[in-house]
Amino acid sequence: MTEPITVVVVDDHAIFRSGVKADLDGRVRVVGEAATVEEAIAVILEQQPQVVLLDVHLPGGKGGGGAEVIAGCGDVRQTTRFLALSVSDSAEDVVTVIRAGARGYVTKTITGADISNAVLRVASGDAVFSPRLAGFVLDAFGTAAVAAAESELDRLSARELEVMRLIARGYSYKEVAKELFISIKTVETHVSAVLRKLQLSSRHELTRWAAERRLL
Amino acid sequence: MRPPLLRSEDALIAGVCGGLAAHLGVSLRAARITMVALSLVGGAGVVLYGWLWLLVPTTEERRRGVATPAGLRLGAPVLEGQRSKPARSFGAAGSREVMIGVGLLVVAAAFVAQQLGVTVQWGWLVPVGAVALGAVLAWSQLDEARRARLMDHAGATRAEGVARLAAGLVLVMVGLLILVSGSLSWEFTWPVLLATAAVLGGVGLVLAPWGLKFWEDLEAERSARVRETQRAEIAAHLHDSVLQTLALIQNRAASEQDVIRLARAQERELRRWLYADTAERTGNLADRIKAVAAEVEEEYGHPVDVVSVGEAPLTPRQDALVQATREAILNAAKHAGGAVSVYLEAGTAVSQVFVRDRGAGFDPEAVPPDRLGIRESVINRMQRHGGTARIRSSETGTEVQLTMPEEEAGASHD
Repeated sequence: MTEPITVVVVDDHAIFRSGVKADLDGRVRVVGEAATVEEAIAVILEQQPQVVLLDVHLPGGKGGGGAEVIAGCGDVRQTTRFLALSVSDSAEDVVTVIRAGARGYVTKTITGADISNAVLRVASGDAVFSPRLAGFVLDAFGTAAVAAAESELDRLSARELEVMRLIARGYSYKEVAKELFISIKTVETHVSAVLRKLQLSSRHELTRWAAERRLL
Repeated sequence: MRPPLLRSEDALIAGVCGGLAAHLGVSLRAARITMVALSLVGGAGVVLYGWLWLLVPTTEERRRGVATPAGLRLGAPVLEGQRSKPARSFGAAGSREVMIGVGLLVVAAAFVAQQLGVTVQWGWLVPVGAVALGAVLAWSQLDEARRARLMDHAGATRAEGVARLAAGLVLVMVGLLILVSGSLSWEFTWPVLLATAAVLGGVGLVLAPWGLKFWEDLEAERSARVRETQRAEIAAHLHDSVLQTLALIQNRAASEQDVIRLARAQERELRRWLYADTAERTGNLADRIKAVAAEVEEEYGHPVDVVSVGEAPLTPRQDALVQATREAILNAAKHAGGAVSVYLEAGTAVSQVFVRDRGAGFDPEAVPPDRLGIRESVINRMQRHGGTARIRSSETGTEVQLTMPEEEAGASHD
C-alpha cells in the first residue's frame, strides 16, 4: 500500500469540511483545514499538501475566493495541486478558478468514492472534468471543427472534442476510453491538454464568451 | 528581503541614520558614527544626509502616498530615493510650497511691472490676494478625488472650460473690488448689479465644496436605503422558499426519498433565482430541456443533470425534440433509477440530445410492441419530424441519442 495522499480541505462551512473528511477513504489523509482565504494560504504553505480541495467561494482576502488562494500560494503551486469544489455551477466561478490554476472542478454533490478518485487523479497530475465543466469548454471553444490555421492553444483537436463531448454526456474516463478504443491514460492526456488550453488560451471566442459572462 | 529605505520615526534630526541602519542591517550607532565621520571628510556626510533627507520618504509618507506592490520593492537605496521623489512633490507639503512660490512670483511680477513704469495700485493687490486666499482655503476642504470630480463637472479639465472658469473668477474679483472700493452710487446701477451678481457667484463658488459634500452624504443615504430594500426582498424570498423547505425537511426526516426530492427542488429553485437572468429566460431549446428535466426529477425523485452547449431557437421541430427528450428522461428515471445525465448540443443546423442512465439496461429489440413509451414517443416521434433516435444499451446503462436537424437534408451530421 502506498502512502496516502495528503489533502487540505478549504471550505467556510465546518459541516461540509467534516462531511468531506468522513467521505474520503483510506487512500487520502486530511492534514489541514481552513475556512478563509488567509487561513487557507497559511495552512497550505505550512503543510505543503499534495492536493487542496478548494471551495470557490470563500470569505476573507480581497474577495477573490478560491482563485485568490491559488494565486497567493506562490511557489507551492509547483508541488501542490488544486481541485475546485463548489455548489455553484455558474460559468463565472468555474472558469475563474480553472484559469487561476485549479486542476479540476467537481460539484459538492459528488459521492465519497468519486471525490477520493478525483483527489487521486489530480494528485497524479491529471485533470478532473465534471460533465458541466466539459460543457463549458465546449461552449467556450465551440463544437465545430476549427480551421487548422489557428494557434494550437486556441482550438480543440477532433479527438479532444470527442472526449469532451463524451464527458459532457456523463461518461466516466473509463467509459470514454472504451467508447473511443483508446487507453484511460490517453483519455487523461487529452483532458489535461484541454485543461491547459482552457488556462492559457486567449482565443477570440473564449475571450468573447468570457466577456459576455464577465469572466475576464 | 531587506526592509525598504524609509526615514525612521525615532529621529535625532530627520531619521535618516535610523532608516539607513534598518535598511542596511547595521546598528543605529554605527550608522550615526559613519555619518559623522563622513561629515569630517570635507562635509561629504552633511551633503549625503541632506540629500537622503530630501529624497527618502518617511514611513508615514510612504503609507499615505506610495503604495507600491511588495514584489516591486527595490534593494538599491539610490533607486529607492529616485522613485520616491515624484510622489513627494505631489504630497501635501508639495502643494503648500507651490502656493508660496506662486504668491512670491506674483509679488515679484508686480515689482518688475512697477520698475517698467506701470503704476501698480497696491491697494488693489491686497483684496485680490484676500479673495484668492479665501478660494484656496475653501477648495482645500475637498480631498483630491472630490476636487477632481468637481473640476470634471465644471469642465475645467479642457482648455475651453479653464477659460470659462478663469473668466468667472475674474468676474468675482472685479465684483468684490467694486463693492469694497465703495462706488455704491445710484448713478452706477448697472455696475452695481453686475457686482452683486459677481458677489453671488463668488459666494456660490466658495460654498460649492460644502454643497458637494452635502449632496454626497445625501446620495450615500439613498443608496443605503436601496440596499435595505433589496435585503428585505431577499429575506422575504428566503423565508418563502428556503425556510419553508427546511421546515418540511425536518418534518419528513424519516423518509430519505422525500428529503432528497425536497432538497433538489429547493436547490433548483434557488439556483434559478440566483443565477438566471430573468431577461434571458426566453424559452429557447436549452431552457425547455431543463424545464422538462426538472419536471421528471420532481416526479420521480432521481436527480437529472442537464449540461447544455450552444443556443437554438424553439421551432416546431425542436419542440418535438423536447417532447422526445422528456419521454427518454422519463423512461430512464422510471426504469433505471439513479442519476440521469442529459447533454444538449444545440446548433443552428442540427441539435442533439443524449440521455444517459446507469440502470441495468434493456434490449431495444425485445421491448414488447405494446410498450408505447420508447417506440412511439421517442423513435417514431423523432422520425416523423425528420430526426433520428438511437438507443444503445448495455449492462452498465442506457443512452438515448436524439438528433434533430433544422433543415430537411441536414440529417447526415454525425
